[in-house]
Amino acid sequence: MTAEQLGVAEIAAWLREAAAVVRAQQARLTSLDAAIGDGDHGLNRARGFDAVERLVNFPDHPVTPGDLLAQAGRTFQQRVGGASGPIWGIALRRAGQDLGDRQTLEAPPLARDLDAARAGVVEIGAAAPRDKTMVDALAPAVDALQKAAADGLPSDAVAPSAARPAEDGVRATTPLLARRGRAAFLGERSISHQGPGATSVALVLRALAGTICAAPPRLYGDE
Amino acid sequence: MTEHLGQRRADEGADPRRERGSLIQSVDRAARILKVLAAGRRLGVTEIAKRLDLPPPTVHGLLRTLVAHGFVEQDRTSEKYQLGPGLLQLGSSYLDVNELRARSVRWADRLALHADAGVRVGVLVTGAVLVVHHAFRPDHDVHIPEVGAQLPVHASALGKAVLAFAAPEAVDDLVADGLPRLTHRTLDARGLRAELADVARTGVARERDEAVLGESSVAAPIFDAGSMPVGAIGVVADTSRLLPRGRAPGSLVTAVVTAARGVSRELGVAEWPARADRLSPSLRRR
Repeated sequence: MTAEQLGVAEIAAWLREAAAVVRAQQARLTSLDAAIGDGDHGLNRARGFDAVERLVNFPDHPVTPGDLLAQAGRTFQQRVGGASGPIWGIALRRAGQDLGDRQTLEAPPLARDLDAARAGVVEIGAAAPRDKTMVDALAPAVDALQKAAADGLPSDAVAPSAARPAEDGVRATTPLLARRGRAAFLGERSISHQGPGATSVALVLRALAGTICAAPPRLYGDE
Repeated sequence: MTEHLGQRRADEGADPRRERGSLIQSVDRAARILKVLAAGRRLGVTEIAKRLDLPPPTVHGLLRTLVAHGFVEQDRTSEKYQLGPGLLQLGSSYLDVNELRARSVRWADRLALHADAGVRVGVLVTGAVLVVHHAFRPDHDVHIPEVGAQLPVHASALGKAVLAFAAPEAVDDLVADGLPRLTHRTLDARGLRAELADVARTGVARERDEAVLGESSVAAPIFDAGSMPVGAIGVVADTSRLLPRGRAPGSLVTAVVTAARGVSRELGVAEWPARADRLSPSLRRR
């Protein structure tokens, strides 16, 4: 696939890759969840991505890239329990709505897509940066894309430029005290554990980079 | 945090001095003063200082602090010190929590089995619901024990269940501190007051995605022999499972009420829920 495109095929490939990566990292994500919340969350998230994978393999009707992403979001909202359903649901839907029928891969609009996802998560989760949530991976990715847009980065460098700061954001969650989600009730017991929500965001953004750039994804935690 | 509630008693006889390096000095000294006074006699500053091998001014400062908290009092004529009434209060809340916990275990297990969900028993502490007992969801191996977890009062069914039957000042105080917005469904002060009126009428509190997205809870208050709301028991589960189509199934509500009534009866209450005329006037008006 060409580096400049972010069409239906690329979105589908990305979501398949995201499902595969989340599946491959399932044990790790579950242990992160179990340490500070509930192992169910990891299970639900994996189920959600499995359902999304089925969706992209058998799309109901011809769709735009934005439609496909929004459908993936609705799949999460309708089929997945726990926190993963509403949160991944709103993130994917908002990103999809923002993406619309655009097919090009450029930093400025991609920054807006991701920012729409971030805003959706913040809206329903009432989360701020450093609350030890998905936002801690999403926000740095948005910032980096905005910077990439300003720097006029070539399109094949756009997706990786979002993945790396998300991963840095994940590492920065470890010492944080959780302020949202079930982990928030555990107080100091939530410290010294990497945030599972942020981790899954970084995995999915790394999957995007891997898909678009046709390079093997660097799985989080492999280094 | 609550590991202490059940286990610390056993440590009373142990001499913590061996591990004193890891203790906070002033707290350690205050605790030793209380133990010396607990021997039963009124003592002066110099006597206490001698027994603990500490400078009298240090002991004096500690005693003044303990007096300020009501844990120690000073006899006016002799100027000697003895244990204060504040300790009694602490002691009785310790007993209350332990009895509540002991009485809840069986009912919590039964409820967890019936509802196929996790069950929490909680009490109100300053500004939070403290989980004092947690029964895991049956046949479910991945979880974290939540005893000691502190839940938001306004965003948990346990908190609402107790608050609806508590003194009106408790609601006012909570609202005055501000109600943190934890999700887009967290209630504001007005919404909370309206819902508490419902809870006071039905005896059942519900919380939908208000603290954690995708997670909801249903709870009912536990009363003690004096008809005071001492805590609550309730189930917590994925919203889609607990509240299909936004409502708690009747059988679930019945099971929660049965558990709350069961624990309350064991604590000696005659009537569940407490009579409406016990409710705060501000709630009755609504």
